[in-house]
Amino acid sequence: MSDRFGLGWREDLAAGIFAHLDRIDVLEVIADDWFEVSRSRQRALRTLASSVPVVLHGIGLGAASTVPVEQKRLSQLARLVETVRPESWSEHLAFVRGGGIEIGHLAAPPRTSATIEGTAANLDAARRVVGIFPQVENIATLIDPPGSRMDEPDWLCQTLAASGADLLLDLHNLYANSINFGLEPGAFLRRLPLHQVTTVHIAGGRWITAPDSDGGPQSRRWLDDHKHDVPDPVFALLEELGSRTTQSLTVILEQDGNFPPMPHLLAQLDKARTALAAGRAKSATGTQQSVSLVRGQR
Amino acid sequence: MSSPQFEAFLTRLYIDADVCARFLADPDSESARAGLSPEECAELNQIDRTGLAFAAESCRRKLAHRRQSTGHRSLWQRLIQSRRDP
Repeated sequence: MSDRFGLGWREDLAAGIFAHLDRIDVLEVIADDWFEVSRSRQRALRTLASSVPVVLHGIGLGAASTVPVEQKRLSQLARLVETVRPESWSEHLAFVRGGGIEIGHLAAPPRTSATIEGTAANLDAARRVVGIFPQVENIATLIDPPGSRMDEPDWLCQTLAASGADLLLDLHNLYANSINFGLEPGAFLRRLPLHQVTTVHIAGGRWITAPDSDGGPQSRRWLDDHKHDVPDPVFALLEELGSRTTQSLTVILEQDGNFPPMPHLLAQLDKARTALAAGRAKSATGTQQSVSLVRGQR
Repeated sequence: MSSPQFEAFLTRLYIDADVCARFLADPDSESARAGLSPEECAELNQIDRTGLAFAAESCRRKLAHRRQSTGHRSLWQRLIQSRRDP
């Protein structure tokens, strides 16, 4: 087993990334940033991908919807994948437009059988055009999605079962939704099909308070802003994930602003390594204990 | 529950301050005006109002930021930037 640890590619971090490639196993590149660039720039990304493993991450497909995804976006993605040849690509379980209007934001769909069916159809269409099945990411939401018929863990499980997609598990999104909507993060994690997790996102956030509120607990939410350090409960979730899975995982740290010095980001990656290794050690100990018990029974 | 019409209405609710204000004042009328079914209108009557305030505020801030963005930047570069400025 070989777990990997990497960063989201951001131009602000480019110099630091190139200076520390010995401590960065993989880079995640926002696909939509590269749709409209010149072929030479896309080839430059290909050159990067030939020197360090690159995965592409989409943000604009809007696959979690009852509306079919736009063929133009799939074609753009297919061309980029063909040029860059990434290890894999992923998208969010979100809708991003409605009635022809862009939200400019990743919105959580109503958690219903209709959006499960729509998502599965959209992901299958993406696979047919792009040639590779996407991993899908759970998103953070500030609003409990209106019109929902099930909670988020149920919706995720059914969506993954219907689509056959692997899960890009964003542990900070799971943490944020849990504390915002009254779920216990560990219990949420344990309800997911963890054998389908291939990639993990970690990030940070902060509390925000509703405008015109009294400041009470009901009027605040944890915002997934990617501008702060990864909170300790997220590392604890990573450790638990490591203890409950046997497949190799790729862990990506996302930072989208307030960029700290590169050593600070690398230190967070080291914390992630430590947390996942601790979970793996627990898993190995548990396996050894099970083997001992079986041998003792013989 | 959920249909293209429902998603379109949620979109307008999140990004259009006037629609959001009318909805909060009279959810049934605004939902019905959008052509939603009685069942969908009833669902929206139970909306997470605190969450709606957060979501709408976040979207408005992002839209304002987008309007300030320069013309040469792509839609998705602006979306990425807006994601960085919640």
